[in-house]
Amino acid sequence: MGFDDPCEKCEEWMQPYLDRELDDTERAEAEEHLAGCGYCRKRYRFEESLRTFVRDVCAEQMSPELKKKLAALRTPL
Amino acid sequence: MSEVTPTEPRRLATEARDRVRFEEEALELSDQVYRVARRLVGTREEAEDLMQETYARAFRSWQSYTPGTNLRAWLLRILTNLNIDRGRRKQRAPEMQPLEEGDYFLYNKLEEASREPVSDQEAVVERLSQDDVVTALSEVPHDFRDVVVLVDIGDFTYQDAAQILDIPIGTVMSRLHRGRRILKSALAEQAVGGS
Repeated sequence: MGFDDPCEKCEEWMQPYLDRELDDTERAEAEEHLAGCGYCRKRYRFEESLRTFVRDVCAEQMSPELKKKLAALRTPL
Repeated sequence: MSEVTPTEPRRLATEARDRVRFEEEALELSDQVYRVARRLVGTREEAEDLMQETYARAFRSWQSYTPGTNLRAWLLRILTNLNIDRGRRKQRAPEMQPLEEGDYFLYNKLEEASREPVSDQEAVVERLSQDDVVTALSEVPHDFRDVVVLVDIGDFTYQDAAQILDIPIGTVMSRLHRGRRILKSALAEQAVGGS
């Protein structure tokens, strides 16, 4: 992608890295950079916890009534 | 006597068993499907309607599901199609205002707003509230939000999201990229005020 600045490249790769969508070579490169760069590592920790936080707070339970309604849609035996 | 061959009852029994198995498996996934449905639409009522329509359709067309493939993705494909078809979502043209912030934008913003040096990056997240996240997500335009919700909340791969939404994987990646940045801008706005 032609990045001169390794931190800029790391920033660009951060999301696909967290999505486990980088290939092996890219992942190894990202991990090597993260191991040696405090600036990006801090931001990586933040991004990772942001993901978990967003997922957790967005998780709304289905009501028991809806569960019953869905079960009632089954084909009668 | 009837023309039914001895194999016919057996075939019907097998079909009934396959259908029961399908319905049980689909219902076991309903919590996970709901979690995604709830964030694709604005209200709990809409999500509940959408779930019922989805399951009604899934139970009707269960034979078009290929056993052994991803059932959760199959259900969500029905659900997202229904959501689009019913015109519930007024399709807003994606706003193409420039969005120059990088991926580290939200962290930088929160760190800048903190009064003390940040030593624990996980704790920075706790400055956001549940309302901040839910409100910010609802502000992401639909096309982008669908992808963000499927990948970040539904934990689908890019490939699954592409199949569910019937769009190319490259489009998933670009919408995800932009959608997450819109989300982060909105979160920054919620958490620390104007950017």
